[in-house]
Amino acid sequence: MATDFLDAHRRHWNDAELLFRETRWANADHLFGLAAECGLKRLMIAFGMSVDPVTGTPQIRNDKVHANRVWARYESYRSGHNAGVNYTLPAVEPFQDWDISQRYAHSDDFTKVIAESHRNGAKSVHSLINKAILEGIIL
Amino acid sequence: MTTFDQILPSIHEVLIVQKEHLHKLGPIIINRDLNGRVRLVLEEKLRDQSETAKLTAAIARAMSDALGPHGFPVDRMVLFESSFEMVKQGALNFQLEGFDDVTVIDRMATETDWSNITPIATETPRIVFFSIKGGVGRSTASSVAAWSLAQAGKRVMVLDLDLESPGISSSLLPDEKRPVYGITDWLVEDLVDNGAAVFNDMVASSDLSRDGEIYVVPAHGRDPGEYIAKLGRVWMPKINEQGLRQPWSSRLNRLLFDLEKSWKPDVILVDSRAGIDEVASACITDLGAKGVLLFSIDGEQTWSGYSILFRHWHRTGVVHEIRERLQLVGAMIPEVGATEYFGELCERSWTTFAEELYDEIPAGELSDAYFNFDQNDETAPHFPWTIRWNRGFSALQSIHSRFQHLDEDELTAIFGPFLRGVHDIVGFGAEHL
Repeated sequence: MATDFLDAHRRHWNDAELLFRETRWANADHLFGLAAECGLKRLMIAFGMSVDPVTGTPQIRNDKVHANRVWARYESYRSGHNAGVNYTLPAVEPFQDWDISQRYAHSDDFTKVIAESHRNGAKSVHSLINKAILEGIIL
Repeated sequence: MTTFDQILPSIHEVLIVQKEHLHKLGPIIINRDLNGRVRLVLEEKLRDQSETAKLTAAIARAMSDALGPHGFPVDRMVLFESSFEMVKQGALNFQLEGFDDVTVIDRMATETDWSNITPIATETPRIVFFSIKGGVGRSTASSVAAWSLAQAGKRVMVLDLDLESPGISSSLLPDEKRPVYGITDWLVEDLVDNGAAVFNDMVASSDLSRDGEIYVVPAHGRDPGEYIAKLGRVWMPKINEQGLRQPWSSRLNRLLFDLEKSWKPDVILVDSRAGIDEVASACITDLGAKGVLLFSIDGEQTWSGYSILFRHWHRTGVVHEIRERLQLVGAMIPEVGATEYFGELCERSWTTFAEELYDEIPAGELSDAYFNFDQNDETAPHFPWTIRWNRGFSALQSIHSRFQHLDEDELTAIFGPFLRGVHDIVGFGAEHL
């Protein structure tokens, strides 16, 4: 299947919100991380990240990262691009304590507070995606 | 094929067909993106509303067809947003003519948009010198105005904001008196919170004034340094740690207030860039100028340039905020045939102002209540303050030495009406001129 970061961002975000409303903290938390990663990768493409023309995945190894490491990668693309000026993220990285391997963890390890902090992170990415669509930076 | 100028008329045509049903959709945003492609933005609550779905689809279809390359395929023509305030943030917006509840959001690649009119600064009066064309003696006139105000005992600050073609400082300062830094340096340092490092070394006092003071703030310092690399960063907005964004024109405004606080001038003269340019926009609309002097020579380029600007102010609904600050200056009035030349200049100026800036007086009403002037009304903004062409003042480089042997009578003969006007704006009285 080909990569579509924009669509993936949307479905992860929408499903995460659904689960969050149902107090399913663990999987909501997991999906907020994926939503942030996909959203930022879509923006990174707009700011110059090269992707494989066939699969649509990042070509540079350093860019193949998850939510906990994508923040810094995003910043390096954003700060080097003219259009990136208006696309800053909060300086504090909200996904430092998020890890893809947590999908194997026990539900009880996830709380509302944890999910909420990652929700805020994903939300700031979601706002940037909406803004980029309105500005025509991503179509 | 639809081109840019047909976007708004096409949308108008599409919406007029549905005018009686539009209220069902609530407020509507027409979003014109950075590439000039348009989408319809509706409130989030309409996303799944079946009663309005048909209407939305019909408009989306018609708009997509009408706009062609300036629209989107019909399935991507409409966006639903929960916060219209967020959508409007940071972009020029104006009402679509004829529709109370339809707002056009216009996103541009430039930082300034000529429509964000800052109220007149309440502290020190600021006067902006602008021209559509370069080479009409605008910078020379600002130097002369600075000199004349200083002769009247005033503390005058002159800013060279013609960043792409700096020059005014050389007419007011000999080389050895130039400060180390200029406005460009401050704008670049400010981005990294280092403005203080250059602030105290970017102003020099001119030796030309006897009774007052002329403080010159040049575009760059004695050594321009990596000027092009700095100029390319001047326009950067500054974003603080909380994510608050300060556009470059606000940064410039902050610099002006800081300079005012430190040097306490009685008046600030800003030499702006010529043409419909980013810096000029900031100078004219964003700095809270009390007077905006539009330097003009009679010619097609001048009038079509001013028409474009005036029409933009009209369309974006800011005419009332800006028009009372404008004043036309007739530059380089020729020696031969001066009267005929002036007559022509005045007529063209009046036509241009009347078309877009002056109110139309409804039949049977008194003109006093309206912003409207006769062609020959000497107090009107279109009525040119004149500056006569003069060989001695036509080259900016020689002005510094020229000033040192200045004959005030000669100056009045050349710049009289213009200088009286400038003194008037700042309320200093011009009886001596």
